[in-house]
Formats: sequence, structure tokens, C-alpha cells
Amino acid sequence: MVAADLVVRDLVFGLLLGCVFSVVAHGLNIIWGIVKVINIAHGEFIMLGAYGAYFLNLFAGLTPLEAAPVDAAIGLLVGYAFYYTFLHRELRDKETITLQSEMVTLAATFGLSLFVSNLAIILFTGNPVGINYNPGTLQFGYLHVPLAALYVAILSVLIITGTWLFLERTFIGSAIRAYAQDVTATELVGANPAKVASLATALGFAVTMAGGALLTVWIPVGINPLMGALYAPISFVIVVLGGPGKMWGSLVGGLTLGVVIDVVQAFTTVEIAYAAAFLILIPVLVFRPEGLLKR
Amino acid sequence: MKDVSFELPESAVLGLIGPNGSGKSTLLNIIAGLEKPTSGIVKLDRKRIDNLEANRVVGYGLAKTHQIPKPFSNMTARENVAVAVLYGRRNIHSPSLALQEAERILSLVGMRSRNDASAGSLTVQEKKRLEFARALATGASVLLLDEVFAGLSPEELKDSIQLFRKLHEELHFSALVVEHVMRAVLNLSHKVIVLEEGRVIATGSPDEVVHNDRVIEAYLGSKKSAA
Amino acid sequence: MIEKPGLTLYGLFIVMALLAAAALLLGVAVSSILVLLLVYAALAYSINFITGMIGYVDFGHVLFMAIGSYALATLVSHYEANPLLGVGLGALLGLVFALGIGLVILRFRGVYFAITTVVLVLAAYNIVLQFPQLGAGGEIIVNLTFQPLATYFTIWTIVLIEIVLTYYVNRSRIGFGIRAIKNEEDAASSVGVSPRTLKLTGYMLGGLFGGAAGAVYAWSISGVTAGPAFDFTFSLLMLAMIIIGGVGTSIGPLLGAVVVYIPSYFLLTTVAQAQPLIIGLLVIIMALFLPDGIVGLLRRSNEHLRLVLE
Repeated sequence: MVAADLVVRDLVFGLLLGCVFSVVAHGLNIIWGIVKVINIAHGEFIMLGAYGAYFLNLFAGLTPLEAAPVDAAIGLLVGYAFYYTFLHRELRDKETITLQSEMVTLAATFGLSLFVSNLAIILFTGNPVGINYNPGTLQFGYLHVPLAALYVAILSVLIITGTWLFLERTFIGSAIRAYAQDVTATELVGANPAKVASLATALGFAVTMAGGALLTVWIPVGINPLMGALYAPISFVIVVLGGPGKMWGSLVGGLTLGVVIDVVQAFTTVEIAYAAAFLILIPVLVFRPEGLLKR
Repeated sequence: MKDVSFELPESAVLGLIGPNGSGKSTLLNIIAGLEKPTSGIVKLDRKRIDNLEANRVVGYGLAKTHQIPKPFSNMTARENVAVAVLYGRRNIHSPSLALQEAERILSLVGMRSRNDASAGSLTVQEKKRLEFARALATGASVLLLDEVFAGLSPEELKDSIQLFRKLHEELHFSALVVEHVMRAVLNLSHKVIVLEEGRVIATGSPDEVVHNDRVIEAYLGSKKSAA
Repeated sequence: MIEKPGLTLYGLFIVMALLAAAALLLGVAVSSILVLLLVYAALAYSINFITGMIGYVDFGHVLFMAIGSYALATLVSHYEANPLLGVGLGALLGLVFALGIGLVILRFRGVYFAITTVVLVLAAYNIVLQFPQLGAGGEIIVNLTFQPLATYFTIWTIVLIEIVLTYYVNRSRIGFGIRAIKNEEDAASSVGVSPRTLKLTGYMLGGLFGGAAGAVYAWSISGVTAGPAFDFTFSLLMLAMIIIGGVGTSIGPLLGAVVVYIPSYFLLTTVAQAQPLIIGLLVIIMALFLPDGIVGLLRRSNEHLRLVLE
């Protein structure tokens, strides 16, 4: 294969990977953008989504694609529980997130991250597992694209589009968007802030866990209790790249990161590729803190 | 801002009024060093300060209050003012001395009883007084006051106006007072500048400005005589 | 500016004296256990400067620990230098890196700062793996004669210096400036505080002592390995210690270290994950219900304690 072909291949794979990264980060984006809370334990819920898909595959024979909606349903419940345990007291009467409450949620969710990941090690053991899902490959000339990656990418984009439609076209969606801009205004449009915030949180968790399920396609031997430590920072970088609260930002950030990782990897090592992907954060924050997306 | 140019003489109180969006807060931010002007300069006592960071400007003797009070919520009122004493241009570096001085300044603004109250628990009026006390405590000779009289009940307003007058007589600071509350501006200013859309549309004594047709038009949108 | 110290400082001195006596009198086994306690305490005091006092959550603080560990391990294994030089180098490099990094990232606020520190650790880890001189992911083994007392008193001295520094910073003019920044950074500038200077100072102190502690840690476990050196569990433990003890206080980090370390020493024999599990739970509870830690709780419960505990 010619060098240009290699670059094209890396580009394509980078985009496919990027789609999944996008949905993995999307839940964080939703919660960060709407409830203005950053969940340090985000990675752990991706991990739980991945394990969910694994067990659904093991005991019920579900493919990751089928497991995603089940995970999403579980995520909704988990999200509501998370809201009422961690956020309700802090957010109840607040109009804005103060520094104190920001530190509190950072600390509390970091404790949660420690707790969940170590609980997972105890329950699932540290041995990495994987799902065997290979519906075949599609051939475009010299490109061999695994169908699994393609399906998962398509589903990822659908999920992001779906949430966007939900937020833009439904009444509840507009209540959620109102909450994101001004908590007091939410009451003015006739919605209960607590209900709106809890729904947004639940939605965020649902998307996160579904993302974890879809991610398993790319890590055939990599589902382990500590995987959150890798995917949480990836998600954070994606959300910052795209701009917190901008729904399409997840896609922009995810695709950018996916492409950077795959393309850089072609020239150096995997580690350097990841290092580069992470370090992109700094120039973006210095020069364009609102994110890469215009508007 | 378009061609805004003025001088604040020593010990003078200059009122700055204008409809919303006319650029009053921006002007204060530029003078205080929080924003950089695209052109033009700001001089304090013949020294140029527009290229300085906000905290350096304080060292030259200029302090600004915040429109929405920003107290150090987890510190007491006295500690709040003590920070200003320690970091202003008073050259007092000892915390115990600073705390004593802070107490004195809080008495000046009538908040002695709230010395040890946590700043986060103060009422709105008290928080505004605290902002003012902090600005004074830096040893500033020029105060930029951003809507310090807003949101007060008629009683509180009367007290605040009286307090300002008294302090000004005692301490002789110069002040640039941005306000919407006309009663305060007209009562306390020696001179008033009116801004509209970044431009100065009138200057003069409070009385002159209030009867100026152009000013009335800016506020009301059509020619009407002042009520 | 130097006022008479209060009971807290004397109390801390007594605790340190007891720790010194324990090592001298109770033999090697005890000092080996206590060395790790003091390393934990040193790390807690170091993160206290930037996170506890100034309020900038440094999730990536383990970076400085790793720098210190690698400094000592490289210096001793390649150049056969005295481990004390290794500690000095660790501290120096920690300081220098903190300066360089801080100049760039301290302008980021809140969560953005926190995430950037995480990203830096991940990037650093990936980069270190590329260099064979740094073990390329493997171990660097340090062959030293077993000198438990030397290690012990090195870290003991470091902790003592940190205690004194923390105590006097809190009481000084700088302490007021730092508290102002932590509460309301913009308002702090408006009364003349220079956030840039103070934040950088706090971060550099964190880097200095984090590096020193990391170096001693490598000395005590005779080596450094890339994976564990950059392990976020350390950052998390450091944060847990100051949250549990009381952020920003002089007593907090030491108290937190004791609470975190002592039980884990006994739990290590059971399930390895029990320690972080329990600490995670403890942190959740503290953050939600007792955000100012044990010291904060004690201060609020009793007027006398409020005046005495710092």
C-alpha cells in the first residue's frame, strides 16, 4: 500500500473511532452543559456500560448494538439516583454553581470514582475481558472496514442526533435548555427545576452507559475495571474541544481526537499518539477556550 | 466607547449616568485595569495606568467596587477588609495590625457590629457597605463605585447617601460614581457625565444635566419635560 | 509579622517528636512502617499548598511525586550518588517543573485546571515510556545499603519543614491573600492581591515538596516503575487526606495521613482494594456532609477548639 493509502485508512478508522468517542463523551457534555456539574466518575460509568454489554452478551447473547439500549435504560435509573444522592442538596436553591459547590461535587464524584472502580475490581476481578462480535468486513478497494465499527459509528451519530432533536424539538427539551441558561427562568416556563435537572442528569448517564456498550467493539480484549482512567480524560478533552454544552461539540471533539490518535499513531507510537491527543487540550484552552465549534 | 474624555479632579465626585448598555460599566472596567482600551490612555496623577493589571492599579491608589458584591464569603467582614488593608497601598503587612485597622474602617461605615459575621451571611446592603469598606481600606484616593446605591429601600438609601457625604467630607477621596439611582447621583455629584451608546452626550452640574433635552430623550426616547 | 505561635504548632511539634522517638527507640520494623506514613503526610502537605489553601484542585499532583522518584532513581542507579542528593534533585526538579507548567496552566480556572493536570500526567507517562534511560516502562532499581534511619529522618525533616511553612503561611499576610483568592479570585485582584504570584508560589511549593516526597518514596521502596509512579491513586489519596483532615489547615494533612494510612496498613493483608474503596466512600461522605474535614468539624463544635485548632 502506498503512503497516501495508509493515511486514508488511518483517517477512516480515526473517524469511525471518533464517532464512538463522541458518544462516550456526550453524556459528560450533557451533564456539564446543562446541570453545570462535572462528574469525575464519568469514566467509571463508561466502564459499567462496557461490563453491562459484556454480561448481556455472556448471559443473553446480546450484541453490543442490542446491549446499548438496555444499558441506556439502566443508565437512566442510575442517573436519577446520582442526581438525588449527589446533586439535589447542592443545586436545590442555587441560582449558580458557586466555587464551594463545585469543589464539593468534584470531591464527591472523585470519591465515587475510587469507590466504583475498586468495587468493580472486587466484583469482576482485574482480568480484562472482551466481547466477540464480528459480523464481517466491508471492502472498499484496499480498505477493510469492520462492519462492527461501522454499525457502532452509525448508532453513535444517531444517538447524538437523537439527543439534539430531543432538546430542540420537544417541550421538555426546551425546558432543559432553559434550565441550562438560567435556572430561575425554568420556573417561568412552567417547569420544575429539580425535575429538569434530574432528567438531564439521567439522560447524560443513559448516553454514557450506552456509549460504554458501543465502545466494547473497539476493545475486544480491553474491558477492565480501570478503563475509566483512560476514557474519562478522553471524554473531558473531547468536551472541552467541542465546547461544554454544545451538543454537536461532542461529535466535533470526538472526531478530532479519533483522527489525531489514529493518524499520529501511523508515524510514531501509540503512546505518543495518546500523549499528543491529550496535550491538544492546552493550546485549545489557551487560545480558544470556548471550543473549536463556532457559535 | 467613542471619544470619551474627561478629568476627575482631586476630591471631586463625578456622577456617570446613562441608559442601559451605554458603556458605563465598561468604562469603569477600563479605568480599573480589568479591560484594555483599544485606543486611548488612562492617567492617574500623571502616571499612565491603562497598561497595568487590575491589582497593580490598586497600588497606585485606585479601587473599584463590584456591581454585584463579591465578598470573600468564608471570611469574616473584618477579615475581608483586612485583606484590602494588607494588599492596598497602605504598606501595612502585619495581620494583627491589619485586623485592627479593618475594625476601624468597618466602624466608619457603620458595620462594627458585623465585624465577626461571615461575609456570606450579610444582607445585600451590608455586602455593598463591605465592598465600599474594602475599597476604602486599600488606601485608595480614587474610588470607582459601580451602582453602590442600587437595590436599597428608601430608608437604606437615605442612610447610605448620608454616610457617603460624611465620609467624603472626612476623607476627601475622589469618586467616579456609576448610578441608576438618580437621587444619589444628583445629591452627591459635583459634576455629571451622561453616556449613551459609548458616547458622551452631556456634561455639567447635576441640575443642568437633568434638564438637558438630549439626556431626557436618551432615557425616555422622545422629547418630554422632566417631571 | 512573626507572632507568637499557638497551641497547634506546639501540638504538631510534640507529635513529630513522638514520631522521632518511636523510630529511634522501637526498632527497624516500626520505622519502616512509619516512613510510609511520613511520605503520605509529606505528600498531603504538598498538595495542601495548591489545592487546600488556594483551592485549585490538582488531580495531577502525582506528577511531581513521579518526577522526584525518577530523579532519585536515575541519579543513584546511573551515577551512584548519595540518595540525599537524589532527594535534593527531586525537590529541585519538582520546583522547576511546577514553575514551567504553572506559568501556562494556572490561568485556567476550576475544572479546566483540574482536567489539564490530569492530561499532563497521562502525557508525561506516555512520554516516559519512550525513554530507555528512564526505564522505558520497566523498573529502575536502586541498590542501596539498607539505611532505614537515614530515610526516615530525611522525610521526617521534610514534613517538619512543611508543617512550619504551612503554619506560618496561614498566619501571615500571604495567608490572607491566599484565602481571598480561594474565596473570590476576581475580588482579590480588586483589592490589590496578585493572584498570579500567589497561585504560582503555592503550585511551586507543591511541586518542591511533592518532588522531595517522591524521591524519598523511591528511596524507601528501592526503585521506581513507570506504571505505579504515575498512578492516579496517589493523587486521589493525597486529595483524600486533605479532605478528610481539613483543607488548608496546618493539622489537616497530618491528621488525614494518619486516618488514611494506619487502617490501610492493616487492611493490606485482606483485600487490596479495600483501602481505596473505603477511602472513596469516606471522601464521598466528607465532601457531601463535612467539606471542611475533621478539623473543620472540631472547630465548629466547640468555641475553644475554634480558637486553638489551625
